[in-house]
Amino acid sequence: MKRSIISIAALALALLVFGEMLNPTGYAIRVLCLVVLAACLGQSWNIVGGLANQISLGHAAFFGIGAYTSTILQVRWGLSPWLGMPMGMLLAALMALLLSIPTMRLKGPYFALATLAFGEACRIVATSWPSMTGGPQGISIPFLGNSWAMLQFRGAGSYLPVLVGLLSVTSIVFALMSSGRMGYYLRAIRENEDAAEMAGVNTLKVKLIGSMVSAALTAAAGVLFAQFTFFFDPDSVFSVAGISIRAALIAIVGGVGTLTGPVIGALVVVLIEEVLSAYLSNRAAGVAPFTFGVVLILIVLLRPRGLASILPALRGVGAKQ
Amino acid sequence: MTQLRVSGLSVRFGGLSALSDVSFAVDAGEIIGLIGPNGAGKTTLFSTLVGLQKPTAGQVFLDGRRLDGARPHVVAKAGMTKTFQNTALFPDMTLVENVTTAALLRHPLHEAQRVAHECLERVGLGNVANAQADDLTFPQKALGEVARALATRPRVLLLDEVMAALTPLEMDSVMATLRDLRATTNLTLIVVEHHMRAIMKLSERLLVLNFGRLIADGEPSKVARDEQVIKAYLGSEHAQVA
Repeated sequence: MKRSIISIAALALALLVFGEMLNPTGYAIRVLCLVVLAACLGQSWNIVGGLANQISLGHAAFFGIGAYTSTILQVRWGLSPWLGMPMGMLLAALMALLLSIPTMRLKGPYFALATLAFGEACRIVATSWPSMTGGPQGISIPFLGNSWAMLQFRGAGSYLPVLVGLLSVTSIVFALMSSGRMGYYLRAIRENEDAAEMAGVNTLKVKLIGSMVSAALTAAAGVLFAQFTFFFDPDSVFSVAGISIRAALIAIVGGVGTLTGPVIGALVVVLIEEVLSAYLSNRAAGVAPFTFGVVLILIVLLRPRGLASILPALRGVGAKQ
Repeated sequence: MTQLRVSGLSVRFGGLSALSDVSFAVDAGEIIGLIGPNGAGKTTLFSTLVGLQKPTAGQVFLDGRRLDGARPHVVAKAGMTKTFQNTALFPDMTLVENVTTAALLRHPLHEAQRVAHECLERVGLGNVANAQADDLTFPQKALGEVARALATRPRVLLLDEVMAALTPLEMDSVMATLRDLRATTNLTLIVVEHHMRAIMKLSERLLVLNFGRLIADGEPSKVARDEQVIKAYLGSEHAQVA
């Protein structure tokens, strides 16, 4: 646990120092912010997806609930997103609780499909409720000038400390949940639910706590996404490919159930996306996503436990010399 | 003093009756053998007792507390747990982590780790405590199951074929451990085992299931002469032993 905290603090510091060296309104810092946001998303997903192997393909639901809650409160009543964020997190946790009633006893692909459907249901609700959400046209946050109180800035660079803060909190929560009593329980559930029950683990309660924490942290990422982009619509925050699958993908590419996995996964996935779209998008249609797919398949084939599994291997090489 | 009372327990899967109207009572500290031909309902009975399988009818009382329909972790907390027939250790955890998970039921983490080591010593697995569960041999896994079950501090322990893969020597040592546990903690044991030698040696009372019905309940020597039991086993290798 102590080592995890030190790693998290070191990573946060490195990100902030690196951010300081970049032009605060430039393209590079924007990409860095997207990497950190993606890492938040992957790390939140990792809490249940990684530790308990409950593969959710519906985390966009919580991301979107966070984004819409804080934005609607802001647009309608001028409420600061600092207050909207806990409300969005609470609402997402409640939705996770509701969702768990029909899905908790489902396993593997059945659980994944049920969560996928839930994410889609949220997208459809947001699309067909224009009086509340702005409907398919989306919703925008009015820019009132640089303000910490309203959590909005002209340059991407100012968002970095907030994003790094959320990534640190999410990572600490992950570290807490993966160590100690909860860590034993979640891993036992991942490996064999019946045996876990028989060993005295209240599997439904543990999964429920995990899901609610994961949903709340995902919602917080959604709030920051809304503040960062100033505009979004149901298709962007409730996107299956863009959010739900991406959350799982980032954790899987980086290393499911590991602390460093989602950070590495986010870095790799976002950088590949950006590089490919910068260099390949003006070539034949589909070359960029095709290459992206090939790279991901290669990573999963060569490193089935994720890119984070390279780290101990490297340390091993160093130790031998 | 009756510790476990089972009355009218039935489990039906659609048209199939896996258990019909099974009733028996067990005193604290008894060692009971549960036998019967393949498919007689032994594992179903265990699963139903611990809450992994919901009964269609009937009741289960542990020390007067009604437990039928309760979830397995509630039954474990109440003091009854079982091992899994083909072993179900958490494969990606070390053996001691497996046992610690169960010890957490009644202890804070640091103490649970100590209890886990104790339980492993008890079944003779102290030397492989830090091995990955998946890397253990089958007999080690079976004994690991016993250690994990013991870590929940059960008063009634249901053992489902833990001796299946053991050598006669290992079997004797497990039986000695189980008797010792009974002597020191008054643990009640219900044992399913295909090795007739082991079951006859270990148990003081036999329950015999056939087609989901309890057809005999009594001292091993008497049960072995029971006409219905001999009939149920006729033609199988066990008939000669019995």
